Amino acid sequence: MAIHEIRVFPKDEDSEAEALRQQTRSTFGYDLDVSTARVFYVEDVTDPEAERLATELFTDPLTQSVRLATRQHWQDSHTVEAAYKPGVMNPERESLEAAAGFLGIKPKAVDSAIEYHFAKSIPPEIVSKVVKGLLINETVQHVRRHRPETLAITGKEGPVETIPIRDLGEKGLQSVAEKNNTFLDAAEQKIMQEYFRLIGRDPTDAELHAIAARWSEHCGHKTFNAKLFVNGQEKAPLFTRIKETAHQYFDEDLLSAFEDNAGVFRFYDGQAINLKLETHNSPSAIEPYGGAMTGSGGVFRDILGTGKGARNILSVDIRCLGPLNLPQDQIPPNCFHPIYMQRRTTDGIRDYGNRMGIPTADVELYYHPDFRGKPVIMVGAAGILPEKYSQKGHPEYGDLVVAIGGRTGRDGIHGATFSSGSMTAETATLHSGAVQIGNAIEEKRMSDAILEARDADCIRALTDCGAAGFSSAIGEMGEGIGVRVDINRAPLKYQGLAPWEIWLSESQERMVAAIIPEKYEEFAAICRKHGVEIAALGTFGTPEAKPTLNVTYDSQQLIDLDYDFLENGLAQREMAANWQAPAISESLVAINDWSSLLKNVLAHSNIRSIESTVRQYDHEVQAKMVVKPFTGVHQDMPNRAVVIRPLMDKPYGVVEAHGLNPVLNNIDPYKGSLWAIAEAMSKYVAVGGDPDKAYLSNNFVTATPDEQVMGALDKMVDAIEDGMHALKRPVFTGKDSLSARYIEKDENGNVTDVIDVPPVLTITAIGKIPDVAKTVTADLKKLGSTLVLVGKPDYTGMGGSVFYDIAGATSTRVPKVDIEQLPRTLRSMHKAIQSGEVLACRALGRGGLFTAVSEMAFGGDCGAQLSFDTNADADRQLLNETAGCFVVEVVHSAEADKLFAGTPYQIIGQSVPQKTIKANRDGQELFHEELYELKAAWKPGQEAV
Amino acid sequence: MSLKPNICVLQAPGINCDEETAFAFESAGAQTERVHISQILAGERSLEDYQALALSGGFSYGDDIRAGKVLGLELRAKQGDELNRFVAAGKAVIGICNGFQVLVETGLLPDGHISDRPKSAALAHNHSGQFECRWTNLAVGRSVCKFAGQESLGPVIELPNAHGEGRFVRKHRVAYGQLFTHGQVVFQYADGNGRPTEEYPDNPNGSPGGITGVTDPSGIILGMMPHPERFIDTMQHPNWRRGEGSRPFGAIIFKNITQYLKKM
Repeated sequence: MAIHEIRVFPKDEDSEAEALRQQTRSTFGYDLDVSTARVFYVEDVTDPEAERLATELFTDPLTQSVRLATRQHWQDSHTVEAAYKPGVMNPERESLEAAAGFLGIKPKAVDSAIEYHFAKSIPPEIVSKVVKGLLINETVQHVRRHRPETLAITGKEGPVETIPIRDLGEKGLQSVAEKNNTFLDAAEQKIMQEYFRLIGRDPTDAELHAIAARWSEHCGHKTFNAKLFVNGQEKAPLFTRIKETAHQYFDEDLLSAFEDNAGVFRFYDGQAINLKLETHNSPSAIEPYGGAMTGSGGVFRDILGTGKGARNILSVDIRCLGPLNLPQDQIPPNCFHPIYMQRRTTDGIRDYGNRMGIPTADVELYYHPDFRGKPVIMVGAAGILPEKYSQKGHPEYGDLVVAIGGRTGRDGIHGATFSSGSMTAETATLHSGAVQIGNAIEEKRMSDAILEARDADCIRALTDCGAAGFSSAIGEMGEGIGVRVDINRAPLKYQGLAPWEIWLSESQERMVAAIIPEKYEEFAAICRKHGVEIAALGTFGTPEAKPTLNVTYDSQQLIDLDYDFLENGLAQREMAANWQAPAISESLVAINDWSSLLKNVLAHSNIRSIESTVRQYDHEVQAKMVVKPFTGVHQDMPNRAVVIRPLMDKPYGVVEAHGLNPVLNNIDPYKGSLWAIAEAMSKYVAVGGDPDKAYLSNNFVTATPDEQVMGALDKMVDAIEDGMHALKRPVFTGKDSLSARYIEKDENGNVTDVIDVPPVLTITAIGKIPDVAKTVTADLKKLGSTLVLVGKPDYTGMGGSVFYDIAGATSTRVPKVDIEQLPRTLRSMHKAIQSGEVLACRALGRGGLFTAVSEMAFGGDCGAQLSFDTNADADRQLLNETAGCFVVEVVHSAEADKLFAGTPYQIIGQSVPQKTIKANRDGQELFHEELYELKAAWKPGQEAV
Repeated sequence: MSLKPNICVLQAPGINCDEETAFAFESAGAQTERVHISQILAGERSLEDYQALALSGGFSYGDDIRAGKVLGLELRAKQGDELNRFVAAGKAVIGICNGFQVLVETGLLPDGHISDRPKSAALAHNHSGQFECRWTNLAVGRSVCKFAGQESLGPVIELPNAHGEGRFVRKHRVAYGQLFTHGQVVFQYADGNGRPTEEYPDNPNGSPGGITGVTDPSGIILGMMPHPERFIDTMQHPNWRRGEGSRPFGAIIFKNITQYLKKM
């Protein structure tokens, strides 16, 4: 039987068309006459069945009309069907087929797509520009040019191949590495060759890929574990330094650090909290929607896969992008415009978090031109789990290796090794297998099943399938005990995968568990209840004296490797570090127009309101948020930290906040990193977090390491160590992603352009508080109250500030956080909040005091009167960005004297009923700005991106 | 029978507000069981053992095709008779957000029963084209709803919303009018003065007349886009530090349902 085509047309509002019209306006400046239809293809049903599906399933008669007819003019350039490429799984297919089943109809396959109808008056070249730029991402989609003959995805399974390497010279090895995308260097290829010479055979394709993945930067963290020579002087590896310093500050509440998918600390009532942040830069660079989605999905599985299973309670979204107003001709070849990048990554994070029911509440969008080649897409999550399940599980001899969740397809092959390489204009075509579209519902089901199985004590050990799929998940679980699996038992999305592809596939929404054999039936029943597919692939424990990784495909041997070689075969790298300060001239800045400067500060891309993005996230789901992203009279003033009450009937709170300053890291990686630590800690303390309960995550993103990058990393780690010593609090989790470099080559392969991202260090602080009633928000609460600046700004350091960016000024003098003073200020601030006398509090950050006061006033819908003395220039007092300071509202100045005695503080003004922000210096008026005008500059209209 | 009414909080693939919905009922003095639809279809659980059915928020089956469609179809096809008996017995049904969308897809709202006739309402894409998460005012209608009336809630309440498809659509003006004359309009988005509005953002989805909560002709089925389970104590209000949110309106709705069931 043939394929039926069904087209569904909106009757009233065409929201898909409206969305495209908006994007076209914001990206190209055109007004587009376009309408849309949903297209459904149904294979192997009768005509009456197709009719029934069309009217009862696909169409809402109140809002849509339907037509069953085959398309005639496939060459028409003004009718464009955007379909997934063959082999890319449309996540909707499963529901479509299930729903047809509810009507008693069993099609062979169903698929869906969207068809765009452009008005004939639009010139074809504009249609093609819109299609290429906004509609189709060629990595996963294409314009369908003819009727599909079948919807089934088929193929023939590939063989197990042996790859002769034992007799190859250096060139031959290099060509094997390139052909197989292993990204291994010459020394590593040599080590591998010697191992196979020793055991007297050549590797299979799967072995080659498994070794490459295990030794990849992504899994092996070769740079962070490398022996370091800083300006010729040997220094301990970066990771060793972080871990050893952190260890000094592990306290009785720390339950797990650096060994599991996430760091874990003790909460209250027998519960524990875990945190993890990750990046998903490379996949997002070539497919922003799928990349961001699977980034979120991956970090949620890290949380879920911690200990014996945790429930996600918070999603974090931090993105560094090129400026939205970047002219099209400054976008490197094969890179997306930042508007598209932002919109599609927002869509991906929204669709995954919202569908999983995880509130995305800590959000930051940071813009800098050097993210135009490669964006930083950082995703994070926190979870809750019973303390008794909080330790990383270890499989025992005879435990079953069970794959849980989604089926395996040809998704994300080479994600682990790909994320270790630089991005070039060719990346999008070469590595399109490295991305896929996530299926959040699959992961939600799996999460429900795993948490129920955890509570039934079925699970001995658990991990997620991330980079390198089964290879890393099963491979790592088998360390120390050995494992045997038959990979032919893994459920597949479609036939036609080579065995090595099954082993390396990065299909999302999969986990691997070690299940206690006697509990397998109970585990299977729980998974059945939730509609989650499982497959027992083998057992843990191999009888050999030395543990081995033993993988077959049915009866064919696929992998037989010693763990000793896999884990320890890789030689420690040696890397040189030598950071050269950039040549930066010192500018003199004079202000002649306060009014426009202040509005420009509030309208700056790194300061203005991002409410229209955050409101697309369901930040209220789970109903546990007690400091929300927006509060204040108009509920539009952002709070820069979240407080969650994870146990609904208890007053206990989790406080979370993050900090980063890539621009400062460009100028001075040490000071920039201290700044990030101080920002995270002060945002965390500003809402009520306890500085002496904080645990930190450090997440690094840099360009591919050379001596300059290594030098920056060395300084960043110095700052982290000094920060830990000062705060007496440990880092307990983190991640590095060291390939954020864009390289452009001409047709002869010569490098024509290189764009390195500024070094990014994101510090996240998380901790517990016993009572969420003792938390504050930043909106001003009272009229006539006193505004206090707490802490000690470094007024000499204006380099890297928003003010300087606007003025086009540069300086090497960046704000230096006084790390002796920082913990004292944080504790004093925390004590003040505990006393209940603090009405509002905001950490000082980008845009300085003026921005802090303005936002606080927007929140209180009132004015502020500021007065300064001649201690420092007014512009410095208003716009200096030293992290680790606070703007605080108290009822009366007497409270300030009482609360902050012993800490540097300064009364800076009052809240006033007149809706203006005024500043005086020694009695002279500096400026006098209407609140509504300032707010208009800060809060763009709805149709932003 | 126990003194506490027994509530079935339905789980299905993609439903994600079942935990807080169950908690809201328990806080209101009911007892709850989170029942997976697969347990009902397998015959391990039966709707008739419960006094109320709660369809909570989320993205059932990924909101594929359209929000609530697939689960609505599944319930119609596999539990249609059971659901008709359930409501005929005067038992309560509440559908929140995705649950409301599911109830509309089954036909239980606004018509009160599942039949072969085409459904008479839809929840279409927000006028903004975007998912929106925000708190809004709601004018409480003079409706027949047995658990969400002005006498307990007052004329205007506040609740949070979080949805992309919440615009309540009927075939023509008369059909909207009928809902008002039959007392089936429970909540309408309202402006700062408590007057129903179609203006964004007070009305986040562009629903005609601001309609966002609907009951069946007998007042025992309540569907609403806003989330009452997210406002059962003051600290869930964004501005509790400003003295707002002292009456958690969501808690009142769950108490009213529990009281109604106790008197049944």
